[in-house]
Parts: sequence; structure tokens; C-alpha cells
Amino acid sequence: MPPTGLEPARMNRKKGDKGFESPRPYKLTHQVVCINNINFQRKSVVGFVELTIFPTVANLNRIKLNSKQCRIYRVRINDLEAAFIYNDPTLEVCHNESKQRNLNYFSNAYAAAVSAVDPDAGNGELCIKVPSELWKHVDELKVLKIHINFSLDQPKGGLHFVVPSVEGSMAERGAHVFSCGYQNSTRFWFPCVDSYSELCTWKLEFTVDAAMVAVSNGDLVETVYTHDMRKKTFHYMLTIPTSASNIALAIGPFEILVDPYMHEVTHFCLPQLLPLLKHTTSYLHEVFEFYEEILTCRYPYSCFKTVFIDEAYVEVAAYASMSIFSTNLLHSAMIIDETPLTRRCLAQSLAQQFFGCFISRMSWSDEWVLKGISGYIYGLWMKKTFGVNEYRHWIKEELDKIVAYELKTGGVLLHPIFGGGKEKDNPASHLYFSIKHPHTLSWEYYTMFQCKAHLVMRLIENRISMEFMLQVFNKLLSLASTASSQKFQSHMWSQMLVSTFGFLKSISNVSGKDIQPLIKQWVDQSGVVKFYGSFAFNRKRNVLELEIKQDYTSPGTQKYVGPLKVTVQELDGSFNHTLQIEENSLKHDIPCHSKSRRNKKKKIPLMNGEEVDMDLSAMDADSPLLWIRIDPDMSVLRKVGFEQADFMWQYQLRYERDVVAQQESILALEKFPTPASRLALTDILEQEQCFYRVRMSACFCLAKIANSMVSTWTGPPAMKSLFTRMFCCKTCPNIVKTNNFMSFQSYFLQKTMPVAMALLRDVHNLCPKEVLTFILDLIKYNDNRKNKFSDNYYRAEMIDALANSVTPAVSVNNEVRTLDNLNPDVRLILEEITRFLNMEKLLPSYRHTITVSCLRAIRVLQKNGHVPSDPTLFKSYAEYGHFVDIRIAALEAVVDYTKVDRSYEELQWLLNMIQNDPVPYVRHKILHMLTKNPPFTKNMESPLCNEALVDQLWKLMNSGTSHDWRLRCGAVDLYFTLFGLSRPSCLPLPELGLVLNLKEKKAVLNPTIIPEAITGNQETAINPSGHAQLVGFQNPFSSSQEEEEVDMDTVHDSQAFIFHHLNMLERPSTPGIHLGVFNLEGKEQSPLEMSMHPVATAPLSVFSKESTSSKHSDHHHHHHHEHKKKKKKHKHKHKHKHKHESKEKDKEPFTYSSPASGRSIRSPSLSD
Amino acid sequence: MADTTASAGAGSSGMRSGSKQSTNPADNYHLARRRTLQVVVSSLLTEAGFESAEKASVETLTEMLQSYISEIGRSAKSYCEHTARTQPTLSDIVVTLVEMGFNVDTLPAYAKRSQRMVITAPPVTNQPVTPKALTAGQNRPHPPHIPSHFPEFPDPHTYIKTPTYREPVSDYQVLREKAASQRRDVERALTRFMAKTGETQSLFKDDVSTFPLIAARPFTIPYLTALLPSELEMQQMEETDSSEQEEQTDTENLPLHISTDDSGAEKENTSVLQQNSLSGSRSGEESLIDNPYLRPVKKPKIRRKKSLS
Repeated sequence: MPPTGLEPARMNRKKGDKGFESPRPYKLTHQVVCINNINFQRKSVVGFVELTIFPTVANLNRIKLNSKQCRIYRVRINDLEAAFIYNDPTLEVCHNESKQRNLNYFSNAYAAAVSAVDPDAGNGELCIKVPSELWKHVDELKVLKIHINFSLDQPKGGLHFVVPSVEGSMAERGAHVFSCGYQNSTRFWFPCVDSYSELCTWKLEFTVDAAMVAVSNGDLVETVYTHDMRKKTFHYMLTIPTSASNIALAIGPFEILVDPYMHEVTHFCLPQLLPLLKHTTSYLHEVFEFYEEILTCRYPYSCFKTVFIDEAYVEVAAYASMSIFSTNLLHSAMIIDETPLTRRCLAQSLAQQFFGCFISRMSWSDEWVLKGISGYIYGLWMKKTFGVNEYRHWIKEELDKIVAYELKTGGVLLHPIFGGGKEKDNPASHLYFSIKHPHTLSWEYYTMFQCKAHLVMRLIENRISMEFMLQVFNKLLSLASTASSQKFQSHMWSQMLVSTFGFLKSISNVSGKDIQPLIKQWVDQSGVVKFYGSFAFNRKRNVLELEIKQDYTSPGTQKYVGPLKVTVQELDGSFNHTLQIEENSLKHDIPCHSKSRRNKKKKIPLMNGEEVDMDLSAMDADSPLLWIRIDPDMSVLRKVGFEQADFMWQYQLRYERDVVAQQESILALEKFPTPASRLALTDILEQEQCFYRVRMSACFCLAKIANSMVSTWTGPPAMKSLFTRMFCCKTCPNIVKTNNFMSFQSYFLQKTMPVAMALLRDVHNLCPKEVLTFILDLIKYNDNRKNKFSDNYYRAEMIDALANSVTPAVSVNNEVRTLDNLNPDVRLILEEITRFLNMEKLLPSYRHTITVSCLRAIRVLQKNGHVPSDPTLFKSYAEYGHFVDIRIAALEAVVDYTKVDRSYEELQWLLNMIQNDPVPYVRHKILHMLTKNPPFTKNMESPLCNEALVDQLWKLMNSGTSHDWRLRCGAVDLYFTLFGLSRPSCLPLPELGLVLNLKEKKAVLNPTIIPEAITGNQETAINPSGHAQLVGFQNPFSSSQEEEEVDMDTVHDSQAFIFHHLNMLERPSTPGIHLGVFNLEGKEQSPLEMSMHPVATAPLSVFSKESTSSKHSDHHHHHHHEHKKKKKKHKHKHKHKHKHESKEKDKEPFTYSSPASGRSIRSPSLSD
Repeated sequence: MADTTASAGAGSSGMRSGSKQSTNPADNYHLARRRTLQVVVSSLLTEAGFESAEKASVETLTEMLQSYISEIGRSAKSYCEHTARTQPTLSDIVVTLVEMGFNVDTLPAYAKRSQRMVITAPPVTNQPVTPKALTAGQNRPHPPHIPSHFPEFPDPHTYIKTPTYREPVSDYQVLREKAASQRRDVERALTRFMAKTGETQSLFKDDVSTFPLIAARPFTIPYLTALLPSELEMQQMEETDSSEQEEQTDTENLPLHISTDDSGAEKENTSVLQQNSLSGSRSGEESLIDNPYLRPVKKPKIRRKKSLS
């Protein structure tokens, strides 16, 4: 008996030391995946899988597997035909009859649906009945081999086909296909146990066109031609136990590059990109060396493959021994900006090879450990590669992100523990989605989750030292690699799974330190800390009186108790103090070391031992304090608001060597628009030793200060003379030097300064003419002929600068914008944009950065009323076939237009694209952008907000996005942003308590009024084991929604098919579930042939009528019919989906009949 | 002598081609030669016993004589050129005469005949010198590798150049200004042209010509244009830092030209091999790198039949 859904997660922490307990009554040891036909034209795949399992209980008679989208033809267990049921409640979360439109209801139903098929709870969409002949065999716990023939036709998720529509063979066209998805999504392309915790060895075979290459996990054993020599079969073996979720595939006419430094590493890219591939991957070996060195562990797999593909789902996806990257990461040696980004992606994917692929997780609640470790070692790589400054800057950035997100949404919980399975115990009740499953998470939450995970790992490192930390990792890895080499002891394989408990235990073993409080604070609990600090200097006592308050009542916050480091820079040096933050103590007295002004002449020692001369005239003569920092090491996940005088921030900016401190002081100085701040910022800008990112943010701060000081500002516009001095010719200061980007620091500064300058405004709140002319001159005199690097990013930023200089048009009488009344400055800007945009058509820049900037700038001009607001241009650039960056920029403009102009038409256009665009990334992105920049929000009156839209979005998340978890969660995000948690206000109030359902000829309680009662009753009354009944109340043939989103024919076919030919049965334990039951007689036939026969839909109406009225009594009858007809008709398409409502489930004994066996059986496991 | 006569005798053509200055001396020369020939014809007629002759017949005979001599000259020149010489020799003349059906053996006797009349040599007229149009400097002597019989170099002025420059613009500012506006003009003209000849989009509904935007056109394979550097950029890259390039590629072990026999640095060596094998230029060395993707594809086995089909 498989344990019910939520037990394993709950138990991991408590009895984790006893090892892993599988939620399944069997152990999978080996799986064969064989795809013997891939048709790019039809976008279809035909193949089979064979799972080798060992029962772990004697009375195993049902085997649950995961499978979505796959059309399953036949299941055999040890060569005996086996009956199977297909049921996927996630296809349609709530059913049509329900007029429910509140998100709470949906989220609960969705979480329940996901639970019902969650492999971590032992569930699955596909339920296979063990033939009775094998029962004895099973009782002896002997091996079972499950052979499943399946096909996929035009998959909407899981596998992504890219087929450019040009002339030539598929290989010449660069057609390719790859697996993709969010978290465990392998079930979308072959039947498997789609859990990160079910490990097995793999044999993978792919037969592809002779001109193509199939890249998959493990070692390529051999490549063999088929008999006609037109195709070849790639045979892969993966002997390291791996979960199905880490299996991937990429097939295409790839160019192959063996890494010159590591021959076991092979890189693949699409045709013509080989030179870029060479350059891009030339760095990878250093990443390998780094990780292997710090982990003192060899890369666990015998080979590694990187594949760069188009239309990627995410930029980086790591799978066992291979990573799939977006082809847009490839770059040539001329490109500066992309290089560090791509290297980061490579390093990230490699870190996940160790933690995430090789070491897998025990359950979803252990995910944070893997994400944390991989993120943490990736951070170490960053530190080593880009330097400590970059690393600290990154940590600060990540910290700011997570803090902002948690404060906004109410918290991110790393290690959720679920009790009892009741929704009330939901540890994240502040959220509009369940965090119990990865598939119900908002994507943004998940990225923040990863961010928090690695930050917490860093906190642990702070606590136990890096040395111990690395020892722990090494221990995990060596345990895993010992286990992985135990080829025939599959019970050992659970050592390759990491759990929170196991991880914490090895930390305490290795370090001997108790980090429980830390874990409790950051892992078991959500929220961040919000500090407010202020101080006073008591001259008499020579004591610094520091007051630190906390806000722990607002959402997303928590109370912090424990040590807190405070660094005080005094005249005599820098001193660290560790304060104990306790419940009620707000004030802390810190004794000062130096008397004020006693040693005026002396140099002032800094934290890092450096001694500097300072001009101390600005400071308070009575106080020896230069600046104070709270938690300088970022050892708490916190937001600090600290009050100190402007001169202290200025000292901090000038003399504190930590980039984070500099960044903080720049942020603080925005509030002090004084000449002294100006001077401090200008000095930083000029100082070449200063970290370039600090200098870049100083630019923007300076612009803000200049705007605040506009009435008193003297001299040329801010930064102009500085820029002239740094980047312009000595003899003619209005002309910029010919480009030379050899020094990246000054390159970045040169790029940024004009963008910041364009933000300057004069007393009329216009961009000063001088600045605009200056920027136009920069563009005019830009000369890249002598440069080693491409200037595309630089030019793009110049356009951004032009866009920044645009101010709202002065409109006299709301006239229509025409050329005649165009502002002359805008005319100049438009001139440049036109030329740039047109030149892009002739000489495209790398990643079309310039087009992207031009589109953004045009939108700015539209928004400011200089150019008529019109989405047509953007819509043409948003079409499929443009480079993805261009599309996103154009879509962003359309989204913005939709909001500003409240255009229903454009909103519809966007929604249509969300459903139909061929590129998943674009679909996700549109939803994300709509969520970020919504056309209206829940508290807003908008003409767009109407019932039709509610229905449309509801349909989108309910059934329209079942092929992509992430897309569905994106739709949920949007729904939440637009309508909030409760019933959208634009809907009419439900008036009737009873709703007549004409189709079913019965009355039910209006579910919009008391949904909880119904679902609750059902739950407790009928279904002890799952939540599947939440999806009750539907009629099998009224789900028009469903049919719109799935292929029409398919649904009709399958339903007709089911009613004609297949057994119908009831299962007492899972009432109300949609049962799709079918089985095929054991007749040999080609799967391809099967899928190609169209089926007449005529019989449908007849049978549907019949079935609704008398299906229960009839099904034996049908059964007989079936036998006769089957031989003719079993070629029909049959989408295994059938909804079936049952009321008398308790009365009916469970029958599970198979045409192959020809008799009904009683399931022992179900009856108890 | 004879050939010059002949060619000059072509008369009108010589006149036409010659410039005006040269006309008169040449005419004089012709007249003088004609007169000499007339004297010869007359003396021969006298020798033959005529006492008088009509002017017309003398003219005819003169013409015939001139033609005959011209023909000898022309033919002799052909023979001499046939044997790759420039100056006719006696034998050329002899062969010519034989060819023309003249019995050469009778010639010495005829020349020494007693009754012959000796006529005075014609007054030496100045050879009509082709006037030197413009001599600038000395003709260059032949370099040693050119045989001396080749024509001389033309006058230096025909090939010597004396370039003249305007005072170069050395002002950096002006130069940059010029380069910038030139580029801008070219770009604008080009894009306007493209916009005029193709589909356009416009930001203003009422005006499509002031800021014409070339219409967005989707690509079938958008990533290629987006990622691959344009030819222009490639060219620039080669120009700007060929040296650095080499260094870089050296460290990356990419170039194909590194000798593959060098067994010293293993890593480098093999990587080079791999490059070679990838580009297919040296398939023989593939085996040295053991990467499964480089292995040859196997022929199908009979055994496989079941599982594959």
C-alpha cells in the first residue's frame, strides 16, 4: 500500500536518518527509453519505454507511473498485456459547471490535482494493472518489466520542436528538437516515474535522420545505421543511477566540437555557429578545474555535453551529464557584455551537475539544499573569477532582491513542512499559490527561492567556515559516488539523495557546531529582518549610543534575536562590535576608542589596515565617528535603514573600501543634494581604482543630485566635463575619441555616463539642450573602426540615453500628434532612431541590441506624446521570426500600450499570443510582463475588466496551460494581479443558491457560494487518500473548454473510442475521478499507422447519450461489442482521457477487466 | 632603305598620320627620290637606244621600277623577319630575287656591263627627323635583362609621374567631422534608398516619408543574423588585431596549421588533431582522440533488426 501523499515530506526530517522511504511499493532499477521515430514535419515521436521494477510489497497489483501528453498504445508486463487507466486531473483543474472564479478555490483545487499525480506521493497519471497471471510472481517480489509503447503528437510541452520554414531537408533547415520544462517534466515526453527521488540506470536509444545527432545523458556507446542507411541509432548508457527528471534529449543537425582541453567534454551547436561555439566554450575547462578543486572530487559523470539550441525554454537547463543552453548565449570574441553573462551560465549549469543532477533530492522540501549548494559554489566561482568586489556586489544584489520580494509578498519558505495534508496548515497561507509542489509555484517565487537558498548557504558558511562547508559537500559527493558505483544494490542508491536532515547532520558531524538556530530562522521560517538604526554620540561618556529597532509585524518580516555585527570607523581606526539583539533591548552603548580631534595630523587607519589622509573639516568637531555600518558582512537576511549625517555617508563613500558600503552610501546620498555630496560622487567617478559598478551607480546618483540642486547648480551639466576629460580628444573636446574598449572598466563607464547624463533636467524640467547636443555628438562622432570589440552595446546605450532625455510634450489643446508640431529636439532624436533602426536591417548588430533600444525609445516618445501612440509597429516586431530579444522588447511596448491606452484589442492579441506562440519563453515572458505592468489591478476600475476576460483567463489557467507548469503558474500570477484572491468584482453576484444543470438534469448547490462545504464533505467522506475528487461535478461530454484546448478530434475520438471499445470500470477508492480506461488487444501493429487514421466522430452523440444514462449497467455489454469491433477499430486515435462521474461508487465493486485476460478481477490493494 | 621607301610611298597614309610639321620634309624627300628614279629610268632608256620618250611612259616605267624595288624591299624584310632578324642580309635579297623570278646569276654581269651609265648619286637629302615633341630627361637605357634589340624605352615623360598634392588637411577635428558626416550621409542615403524601394512603416499616420522605417521582416532563422558577426565586423577584426588574434588562437589551440607530428605538448597536439578531424581535412588522425561522437557510425547488424524496426 503506498503511503498517502503527504507523509514522506513530513517524515523526512524526523526519520530521515533511517534513510529514504520510497512512496512507491516498488523500486525502479533500470529504464530503457527507445525513440525509434521522430518526425519533424508532423512534430511527432514514436517509441517505447521499458521499466524494470522490483516489487517491495507482496500484493502489488497496481503500478502508478507518470505520463502526460503521451498517447499510450499498449502496456505489457513481462510480455503479458496489462490493463491501464489514464487519469490526469491537472488537465482541467476546476470543471466547467462550476461558476467559481475565485483564485483561492482554484489554488486549492490545483494543489490537490498536482498532489493526485505527484510521484513523490507515489501517485501518477498512469495506473497499470498487474495481470493476474503475474500475481504469484509479484508475491515472490520478482522482477517485473513494464513495456509501454507510446507516441507523442505535436507536444505542447516537454519536447520542443524548432522547424524553420525554409527549403531543404530537415537537417539543412536546422530543425531540431529538445526536451524542456520546469522541474520534473520528463513525463511530458515519455512515461516514467517523474520524481527526483526515484533513481535508476538508463539505456537510451534514439533513431534519427543520418544527418542529425541525438544528444542525451550518459555515454554514447555506439551509433548504428539502420538497414536502409538513411537513419542512425544513437545508443546511450547511463550507469550512474539518475532520476527520470534529469533525463534530457536534444536532436538536431548539430555541429560537434570536442573540447580541446577535455576530450570527454563535447559541445554541440546549430549549423554555422561553430566559430562562436569554439570561442564560447573555450573557457569551460577552467570552471571544471575550479569545481573539482574546491570540492576535491572529480566530475561525477564520465562525460559532459553542452548543447546550444534555439527557442530555449530557459537559458540554462542542467541534466545528468549534459546541459542545454540557449543558442543566444553564444558570442564571438568581439562581444564584451555577453561574455561574463555566458560564463556565468556555464558555471551555473556545471555547479548543478554536481548538486541537482548527480546528487538529487529526496523530496521537494529538500530542494533548497541542492539549489543552495549549487548556488553557493557558483558564488565561490564568481569570487574567484570576477573578484571579491563583484562577488560582494552580487551578494548584495541578491540580498536586496530577496528582501524586496519577501517584503512584498510575505515571505519565501525554504523548507516547508506539511502537517496532516490539511490546507489550513499551509505554511504559506499568505501566498495565492501552494508551495507544496514545485508545479504550483509562481516562477518568480521559485527564482527568489533559489536566491534565498544560496544566501542561506553563505550564512551557514559564515557560521562554520568555508573549510568545513566544503568538507560537507565533499562528504555528500563521496557518499553518493560510492553509492552510485553499487550497480546492483539499488537500495544503496538513496545515498545519492540529499535531504535537509542528512545535510544538517553532516554539517554537525563535520563542524561540530550547532547551526539549528540559524536553520530555524532562515530555513524553517519565512521572512526577513528589517532593522532601523540611528545613533547619538555621548560626548561625556565617549560612548556611541546606538538604537536598533526592528519591524517584525509587517508581512514578510520576522524577528531577529542574536548577534549582530556593527562596524564603527573612528578617527583612531575601525572597530568591530558584536551586539546581542535581544527581545527588548533597543539601545546599545558602544564605547569609543578615540577622543575627538585629539590627533588631527595623524593618518586614519581603515579596516583593511590601509592608512589614509582625510580632510576632516566636514565632520562634527565633537565626535570621533566617521561612519557606522550595521551588519557589514551581510550575515543576516535583512534590510537596514540607518540614519547618519550626510558627511558620514560621504566619508563612507570616499574611504570605506567595501563596495557594498560604497553602494549603500551612494543610495543614501541621494537624499543629501549638497555640493559636498556632489564632490564626493565626482571624486569616486574619477577614481580609477574604484569598482566600476560603484562608479556606474555614482553616475545615476549624481544625476539625481544635480536635478535636486538645479537652481543652485553651477558649471557645466554634471559629468560632462568629466566625460570630456576621460573620453574625448584633447584638442577638440566635443569629439569623442575613436573607440577603444580594451579597458572594460572605462568601457562600462563610458557606456553609462551619457545614459545618466540624459536624466538631467533644467529648471523647466527639460533635458538641457547642451546635454542633448552632447549625446548627439557622441553618436555622430562614434568611430569603431580601430576597435577590437564590437560597439553594439555602446551604441544601444546611446539610444537609451536619447530616450532618457525625452520629456513629456507640451500639448496645447490635445491635438493629434503630427509631424508639423514635432519638437525640433525630438526631430533630431527621431532622425537618429530612424537611421539606427534602418541600418540594423542592413548591418544587424549582435543580438540586435540596437533594434531593441530603438523600439524602447520609440515607445518612450509615444508615451510622452511626441509621436502618436500606436502599437502597430511593435506588433510587427513581436511576430514570430524575429530575434527573441526584439520580440520581447516589442511585446513590452505592447503591454505598456495596453495599460496606458486600455486597449481591449491589444490585450486580446497578447492573450492570444500567450496561448499560441510557438516559443514557450515568449509566452512566459508576456505573462510575466503583464503581471509586472498590469493593464489594471484588483482595486482599479477599468473598462478592460469584464466577465469575458475573467472567463478567458480562468480558462487559460484552468485548462489552457496544462502542458506547461510554469505557464499555468504565470497565468495564476496574472489572475492574482488583476483580480486578487477573491471573486473578481466585475462578475455579477451569484443570486441563486441552487443552480440547475440542464445537461445533467439535476440541481446542485451553487458552488460559487459554498465550495468548501462540498469539497470538504467529499474529501472526508469518500476519499481518504487524495484530492482527486475536487475535480468532480462534471459531465464527460460537456467539457467544451477542454476540447478547445486539446485537439478536438482527439478528444472526440478518444471518447468515442473509449465508449466503443474499452472497459469502463469504477474504482471505489477514487470516486469522481476521470477515468480514461482503455486497453488494446495484443495485436501487433505499427504505432505510426495507428496514429494516422482519422476517426469518424459520428457515433459520439449516440454513445454519449447512452453512456450518461446507463453507462454503469452497460459497460459489460459494451465490453462484448468491443471485442468484435476492436479488430477493425483499434487503430483509432485514442487520447486517453475520459471523464466519468460516479455516484454509486460505494455500491459498485471494483472491477478491472482486461480484454486481454478476458475476465474481471478484484483488486486487493484497492479493496482494503 | 627600300622598305622605308615603300612605306613612305604609301603616301597619303603617311601624310595622314604625320603631323603637319613633318609633312613638308617628307614630301621633299619623296619628290627627290622620284626624281632620282626618273633619271635612272631615263638613263636605262638611253642605254637601250631610245632617243626620246613620252613623259607619260617615263612616268609609267618609273612607277614600275619603284614598285619592283619596293616589292624587293618588302619581301626581303619578310624573309629577314622570318628568320628572327631585324636587318635584311644579302641572302634575304637573293632569295627574294629568286622568288620573284629574277636570275641572280646575271646580275653581276649586268652590273659590270660596259655601256652602263653612271649617274650621280642623288643629293643627300636630310632624313626627315621625327621631331622630338617633348623630351624630358634621358631615355633610360635597357636594363641588362632586356635584349638591346628591343625597342627603347619611351620618353620618360610618358611614364614618369610627378604627383601633386593639395595641402593635406591635418586638422584632426576637421577630419573626424568629415568622416562622421560622410558616414552619416552614406548611411542616410542608403537607408532612404532601401526604404524607398521596399516596404516601410511609419510612426506618423499622416506622413510616411519623413521618417521612413524599413518594414520589419521576420527571418526564418533569426538567431543567425543576430549572433554571427557581420562581414564588416569580421573584416575590422582582422585589420585591427591580427597579431592579438594569433596569440589568442594559439592559446586556444584552434589553428589548423600547427604541426600535428609534434608530440611534445600532448594536450595541444591532440586538440589540433581534433580540429582537423572535425573539419575533415585529416581523417587519418581521428583515432587519436577518443570521443564517441567522432567514432564512425557502425553498419547495422542483423541482430539489431528486431529492436530497430
